[in-house]
Amino acid sequence: MSRGSGGGYDRHITIFSPEGRLFQVEYAFKAVKAAGITSIGVRGKDSVCVVTQKKVPDKLLDQTSVSHLFPITKYLGLLATGMTADARTLVQQARNEAAEFRFRYGYEMPVDVLAKWIADKSQVYTQHAYMRPLGVVAMVLGIDDEFGPRLYKCDPAGHFFGHKATSAGLKEQEAINFLEKKMKNDPAFTYEETVQTAISALQSVLQEDFKANEIEVGVVRQENPVFRVLSMEEIDEHLTAISERD
Amino acid sequence: MGDSQYSFSLTTFSPSGKLVQIEHALTAVGSGQTSLGIKAANGVVIATEKKLPSILVDESSVQKIQSLTPNIGVVYSGMGPDFRVLVRKSRKQAEQYHRLYKEPIPVTQLVREIAAVMQEFTQSGGVRPFGVSLLVAGFDDNGAQLYQVDPSGSYFSWKASAMGKNVSNAKTFLEKRYTDDMELDDAVHTAILTLKEGFEGQISSKNIEIGIISTDKQFRVLTPAEIDDYLAEVE
Repeated sequence: MSRGSGGGYDRHITIFSPEGRLFQVEYAFKAVKAAGITSIGVRGKDSVCVVTQKKVPDKLLDQTSVSHLFPITKYLGLLATGMTADARTLVQQARNEAAEFRFRYGYEMPVDVLAKWIADKSQVYTQHAYMRPLGVVAMVLGIDDEFGPRLYKCDPAGHFFGHKATSAGLKEQEAINFLEKKMKNDPAFTYEETVQTAISALQSVLQEDFKANEIEVGVVRQENPVFRVLSMEEIDEHLTAISERD
Repeated sequence: MGDSQYSFSLTTFSPSGKLVQIEHALTAVGSGQTSLGIKAANGVVIATEKKLPSILVDESSVQKIQSLTPNIGVVYSGMGPDFRVLVRKSRKQAEQYHRLYKEPIPVTQLVREIAAVMQEFTQSGGVRPFGVSLLVAGFDDNGAQLYQVDPSGSYFSWKASAMGKNVSNAKTFLEKRYTDDMELDDAVHTAILTLKEGFEGQISSKNIEIGIISTDKQFRVLTPAEIDDYLAEVE
């Protein structure tokens, strides 16, 4: 009797399959890739940088409204890779949570606390049938008072880790292979090296050279712990530095 | 606990009388990283593999062994996110007990409450069972104790146990090596040797975690330096 498959619903809601897998969570990961964007995050000695592609599908679209980089508080940034609508609700809830934290406890929400909160919320969606997992991988960055620059990645399964460097999206695995080679000996990148490693990783993996309006870059630096999206001019400077270096 | 649209349970009996969702949850546990626990004469040790998906992951940001109270610790095999939920609920329950009785919660009571939560999720509407098995290690007025809790909510006290990928080899190894009068230090060595049995790659202080509690009733996770010392002794 093969009623052991959960009546065939194991692919539709988050219940276990016979092999002990959660298909809905695995499909959520596929949805992240289906968005067709790759993102990269790199942590340096005193800064963190995240980079993502900026694909504007229609010339009539207002380019400034297309963004995957969201400030959660003045000091915390979030890069969302995957389904934009899911990303927006996650960001909205995260902003609310961070503001309440500041009000309740009197100090800014640390990076790892935000990452854990996002991951715990994602876990609820993997266990309760009434809500599907979100098709978003979130990279959270900030400067921690005790530990310095921090980069966390949270995925639809509810996992979250701190990273020295990481990637998400379509070419995630290729990017991680590239970054593993670069970070093998635990280098302590300066701010410029951090940004340039992130951008050149993206260029190498996608095998194209970018113009400043085709990527978005967000940074936090120890000397100025505010989360900032780089302007076109700053991105151009880094792109030029990379091409001169090669 | 029943969710609005789902007033019916997703875990239901099959014609042969089995709760298949629980069986699948156990399969999920069985494909998780190996963990084990050993009860010694004067304490308990719990240990687990800590294999991270990439060298880019900052291993200091990951701690698989968690403390629930100052004298009770826990480790898991299976799904990390589910484990975090159980840790949070258990800590709250331990704290509520303390607030009511002005006493630290006994190990058996906490284990019973965790197990009750896990059982709820096998019967309530619109939820799936937890994909983790837990090893709870504690030291209270009844001495050193080690409990294993499964996704079904059933729990047993063990002298030594293992869970996860390498469970059968590990348990056979433990059966041979276990003695009732083992000291905590011997137990830590045995734990390391058991992990080493099925370990893929080179064992080091960066890819295992060990937690101990002894007569001082303070549960703590060993630092990488301390693990290195034990590893050197085992060589």
